[in-house]
Amino acid sequence: MSLTHTLSICWSLIRASIRGQMQYRASFLMEVAAGLAYQSMGFVFIWAVLSRFQSLGGWSLREIALLYGMRLAAHGLYMLCFSNVVRIDDFVREGGYDRFLVRPIPPLLQLMFSSIRVTVVGDVLGGIVILMAALTQVDIAWSAANVALLVLALIGGALINGAFQIGPAALTFRFLESWTLRIIFDDIFSRFGSCPTSILDRPIRSVLTFIVPMAFMAYLPAAAPLGRETYLPVWTGWLSPLVGVIVFGLALWLFVRASRGYQSSGH
Amino acid sequence: MPLIRAEHLVKEYRRPRQHSGRFFGVRTLFTRESVVTRAVEDISIFNEGEVVGYLGPNGAGKSTTIKMLAGILVPTNGSCEVAGIVPWENRSANAMNIGVVFGQRSQLWWDLPLDESLHLIGKMYRMEPERFRRQREMLVDLLDMQPFLQTPVRQLSLGQRMSGDLAAAVLYEPPVLFLDEPTVGLDVIAKERMRSFVEQINRDNRTTVLLTTHDLDDVERLCKRIIIIDEGRVLFDGRAADLKRRYAPHRLLDVVVAGDATERLETVANTLPHGAQSVSLDGMKATFEIDPEIIRVADVIADVSSRVPVIDLGVRESPLEGIIREIYEAREVTR
Repeated sequence: MSLTHTLSICWSLIRASIRGQMQYRASFLMEVAAGLAYQSMGFVFIWAVLSRFQSLGGWSLREIALLYGMRLAAHGLYMLCFSNVVRIDDFVREGGYDRFLVRPIPPLLQLMFSSIRVTVVGDVLGGIVILMAALTQVDIAWSAANVALLVLALIGGALINGAFQIGPAALTFRFLESWTLRIIFDDIFSRFGSCPTSILDRPIRSVLTFIVPMAFMAYLPAAAPLGRETYLPVWTGWLSPLVGVIVFGLALWLFVRASRGYQSSGH
Repeated sequence: MPLIRAEHLVKEYRRPRQHSGRFFGVRTLFTRESVVTRAVEDISIFNEGEVVGYLGPNGAGKSTTIKMLAGILVPTNGSCEVAGIVPWENRSANAMNIGVVFGQRSQLWWDLPLDESLHLIGKMYRMEPERFRRQREMLVDLLDMQPFLQTPVRQLSLGQRMSGDLAAAVLYEPPVLFLDEPTVGLDVIAKERMRSFVEQINRDNRTTVLLTTHDLDDVERLCKRIIIIDEGRVLFDGRAADLKRRYAPHRLLDVVVAGDATERLETVANTLPHGAQSVSLDGMKATFEIDPEIIRVADVIADVSSRVPVIDLGVRESPLEGIIREIYEAREVTR
């Protein structure tokens, strides 16, 4: 199975699922709006808090907005590919996963692209808008290095986000459910992802840096161009994609291994 | 060349033992016991071009066997090969060789027109455009799919959907076809279309077919070979004709006559043609046992109705049904 062939099939699946969704036009528009509203709400909360307290751990509202935009854009990027993973519980419990296993394409890819959730459009749009707006507000030079750092951070962030959905999703094959765990990680990322990890207590900070490497999604990569000191050396901001690849690889390995325990339904 | 080979194939399903009574939920949560359900298949060699009926009572492990051969389930024990490939170790390669239809669950894209599902599958299996066009045209024609080709799958009737599923499974001309209860819930016409389609595919492409069903008409029509399993044991493996001969089943003919003909019915009961005999006689009603090896049921009916005014009559059980029920029941006793 060549890579180009696999990619072209994924593209066909994506196009097909978008076409499928477009059938329900009203629902499509409503979901996009809901997605946008949901993501903006988080930002409004931060804005409300910061307009009262001016700064968070020494970071201004504008800088926090940058973190928020980076995190949300990475989340949107992740959602573009992995939004359908949330349905794994249903697929596994009801045996719908069967159909992915009898086709000559990796089952995870089929799961990912069997349908695209339209709320994703809200996440992506929200992320881009807030990120772009924040970039005009903060004091960052538009150097090639900074742009590269930003793009790499988005990719790394998406991979880290994906890893902590795919990894827990592997448990579904054994326990038939993993959504609680997936929601916990999703919640951690959306609640803490856009605040400077430095404000947290040391043990929590360490967990969110070295175990669930959330700090690599926005905080560490943004610190360097903003000229901020962190509890790690400046160059660690460049490690986002590497960290992302490592945790994502681990999650993928876990998923493939655990899927051997798939029991289907009925017998 | 044997196309499907399975040896000591075992699948164990583990689930915690359910407690009942007080605090059953909590006790189930902390229990260490578990119940093992075995679904097994032992040694079966299928030759190219064979259509094999795979029978067994509900829960006998038929679907489990198919799922292991299709690469969906990883067996707890044993080994099998489909066209030289171990299904669960090389899923993609196995997928190229097999077509699978589950009567209970569609594999088509729910929100897309049927035609798009076919296109996606053609793409997945890397079909040349020319070959895809030819195959699609042939299938649309053979399964009468033109009227609903552009309808989203979720709006199809069960019969239409099954035609679609079948088309999707044979589009890329796999040498092996697994059909898991393909006629369940279908009306007579849809069943017939299904059967003649499988017949034709098997004849034209020498496709090997493994068919599980509870509809014995499917089996009688399509399968030369029958395997009956239960709880992992093979109860019978051989030709359908041998099965019938071995268990020499009889058909039962129930006859009801007009009230003024009870005496004549008694006479008929005592002078039935060779191969038929009376097993019960109760006023207007009588039941005759017929050995179809000796005399055709139709001949007995003709004979009886020429001699008494028949109000109602019925033939009970197709031969295979009777045999299979006998086998299932014998198993209940020996267990």
